[in-house]
Amino acid sequence: MQEQVTAVEPNGNKSMEFSVDEPGDSPSPGRPAAKFVYPGGSRPLSGYTIKRGIGHGGFGEIYYALSDAGKEVALKLIRRNLDVELRGIRHCLNLKHPNLLDLYDIRQDDEGDTWVVMEYISEGCLADALADYPNGMPADRALAWFHGIAAGVAHLHDRGIVHRDLKPGNIFSDDGLVKVGDYGLSKFVSCSRRSGQTESVGTVHYMAPEVANGRYGKEIDIYALGIVLYEMLTGRVPFEGESVGEVLMKHLTAKPDVSGLAEPYRSVIARALEKDPAQRFRTVSEMLAALPQPAHTPPGAARLPSGTHRAAGGAGAAGAAGGAGAVPPPFPEGIIEAEAVDEEPILKAVCETWSKLCTAWNDANLPAPVKILLLVAVIVVLLVNAGVLVPLTVVLVIMYAGYRLVRAMVLPQHRHKFCSHRADVAPTPSAEPPQAVQPQAAPRQSPFPPRYDPKLAITMPGRRGRRHREQATPALVVKPPRERFTELIRSLLAGALVAIAMCVVLVLVNSYCFSFPVRPDQYAWLVLVSIAGTWAVLIPSKFWEGTRGEVILRRFIQMVIGMGLGAVAFATSALLMVHPPADGGYGNDFHLLPRAPAGFYDAYGHPMLLAYLACFGSLYFLMRWWRQADPLRGTRLSLWSVFLTVVVAAIVGGFWSFPQSWLMTVAVAISASVQIASPWLPPRKRFRRNNV
Amino acid sequence: MFKLEPRLRGLTAMDYRGSQQFDKFMLWIDAVGGFWVCLGDKVTLGQPTACGTVDVPILADISSRHARIRRDGEGYLIEAIREVQVDGLEVEKMAALSDGSRITLGEGVRLAFRRPHALSATARLDFASHHRTQPSADAVLLMADSCVLGPKSSSHVVCREWDEEVILYRHDEQLYCRTKAALTIDGVRYQGRGRITVNSHIEGEGFSLSLEGIRHS
Repeated sequence: MQEQVTAVEPNGNKSMEFSVDEPGDSPSPGRPAAKFVYPGGSRPLSGYTIKRGIGHGGFGEIYYALSDAGKEVALKLIRRNLDVELRGIRHCLNLKHPNLLDLYDIRQDDEGDTWVVMEYISEGCLADALADYPNGMPADRALAWFHGIAAGVAHLHDRGIVHRDLKPGNIFSDDGLVKVGDYGLSKFVSCSRRSGQTESVGTVHYMAPEVANGRYGKEIDIYALGIVLYEMLTGRVPFEGESVGEVLMKHLTAKPDVSGLAEPYRSVIARALEKDPAQRFRTVSEMLAALPQPAHTPPGAARLPSGTHRAAGGAGAAGAAGGAGAVPPPFPEGIIEAEAVDEEPILKAVCETWSKLCTAWNDANLPAPVKILLLVAVIVVLLVNAGVLVPLTVVLVIMYAGYRLVRAMVLPQHRHKFCSHRADVAPTPSAEPPQAVQPQAAPRQSPFPPRYDPKLAITMPGRRGRRHREQATPALVVKPPRERFTELIRSLLAGALVAIAMCVVLVLVNSYCFSFPVRPDQYAWLVLVSIAGTWAVLIPSKFWEGTRGEVILRRFIQMVIGMGLGAVAFATSALLMVHPPADGGYGNDFHLLPRAPAGFYDAYGHPMLLAYLACFGSLYFLMRWWRQADPLRGTRLSLWSVFLTVVVAAIVGGFWSFPQSWLMTVAVAISASVQIASPWLPPRKRFRRNNV
Repeated sequence: MFKLEPRLRGLTAMDYRGSQQFDKFMLWIDAVGGFWVCLGDKVTLGQPTACGTVDVPILADISSRHARIRRDGEGYLIEAIREVQVDGLEVEKMAALSDGSRITLGEGVRLAFRRPHALSATARLDFASHHRTQPSADAVLLMADSCVLGPKSSSHVVCREWDEEVILYRHDEQLYCRTKAALTIDGVRYQGRGRITVNSHIEGEGFSLSLEGIRHS
């Protein structure tokens, strides 16, 4: 089948204008929300009354209008009557296919502008549906969409028409029936020579590499289908970039990363995205044949399973989010996570127990004071039993490390086997019981928009969090320095206050469980060191905020800072003439080294400068403190972080024979103060700006 | 001799007609959607009839007077004339509606009752089934004193792309439109706020919308 709709002959000196649409944006409601030439109520075209603007397409404005008899239509205004373009639409005018948006007519108004009269669809487009699944749709839903799209495109190809602008914004669902729209308009390319001005047309994310050379075979639709399928399964397009040029360059040169996909999707997409058109699938049906059939779909007209319906109004006017009633993916080869993490059963069990505990803790409807009391009680118990727990933990950790080492050597293929296992735990944001699925008999709508269920979010903690972090990070990077500085000052002040309060609490805990009265000078030392330690975390973290940086480098910098802190701690203790109670007060201290290194302790067992340097240096090297100050951390005060800090402090103290409880107290005070004092963005607020 | 009521002073005949005759209008918001706005405290839901007595005519297999929704002070009540369910429970006579209530009329018309804004008594009916009003609208607004159009989710009409809120409100039986910046109402420029009729076209920074009175047809 030879392509018949020839748009613009490629010509060496023509410059092409493209725009990069954010894939998450729904293109149907144009981004400049206003500015339609015709207001509601006007009748530029006899027989139709415009009610409102819908959006801006590649060529002009699209309006919602009623005919005099009351028929709902979409009117597309084409301002420039290029014969080529009109010929393209005329070719398509009499196409009939359930998966193609109907074109009713082409009309001219009195001013000579051309209007395309077409079917109006009140529901959202695929772009809206994608916005509901930021991590990709369930495989079955994606397949249902894809089969509908492919059927429509295959029909176009059968009539010798190349769509050229397949993208989620052009694919709609009407009552569960997939409709491909915007065909016949050769909008890919607009030459500046002809239009005389830059025009934003199309989006480069779905554009095959050979388009740059002016080749418009139906292979470009296959390519676009591959990208759309990829986007449906993963939630993002394979080639992203800051600029048009960057995306184009990736289309031309980069290999798509399909490693996160399961078969057969991986090979189908890889083949559809071949750079050489000849290497791709020859026809849409060939591509379709390589994919499984969607379940619950009546043969023929490919309908989506129920629950696709968004409340109408494009921009979510009615507020009802779609994406419910999903079918659990029936295919064992569902989508797997992009990074298949080697999950070891013991670690997994521990993590699951921990996350359950966290959930229970968060869900437990306890008032804050009770929680704090509980927390204090737990810390007391831990501190009292530190003598037993710490060695036990160390032994367990060493044993576990050995086990992991052996496991890694014995099971090198583990990772690959693992991939196929993950399929059934693939992240499905709408894991609903499948009772809502009766495509033929029951009305095909989800009863009511589902409420957001926080539990669902918890079932897949790692990945979602990571992605959200990535999405939210840019907002932090662009934060103006002034704002950053203000935040820093604020958190420094707060940190000092919180550290003082924490020290009181910890001293009380200490004196309770060791029945050891802390002298005022010791308390002063504790407060000063805690404040200095809190600041030593907050300041570098503020600089690192929003960037990734090399972990080892940051650890090193922290180590240097930690040593500085150690020096401060030593200086303070020398000035105040106070010493951590190392002399016999803690008989049960656990020592990893048989005896303290030379020059660390004086004759009375009081730590010297070297001991301080070593202790605080290693404490700051071992912990990734900046994560505790990260505004994008999971919760404001993570008990896990505090606990980890205690453990690390215990190990460090044990290693350097430093008075352990003393170091642990300081570490807990620092950790809690840092987390309470540094700014935290609640997850809900992170994306308000970015339309999610 | 003739003394006009204060609220009618300064009105043209058109305005007067506009202010009196319509208790409902279509709100067409460019790039957002079309909304059926009812101003009355009592609205009837039912099948469209020839004489147009139904306030919210829904093209569905229901009775022409199927249910009535009443705004009672700050709350809403639904009165069942025919078969009505609220949150899955059959309504005997009356039931209270609150934000998130799910209304079922007859067999298959499902509506979601929303009151998104805490400070406004205005409510919204979303269609959860595939039924629509006749003529078609994306949702029904039961407008009390004010109606907020804006980017926040607490707006009565969520217009995600907008920067500022636009508020339609009633004062002395008149409709007004208010926003932070300047706006143009029917070609006349206003600063901050201006009076509108049910047939006005309003344009402002980054938004445009039209009102269209719904006649009894």
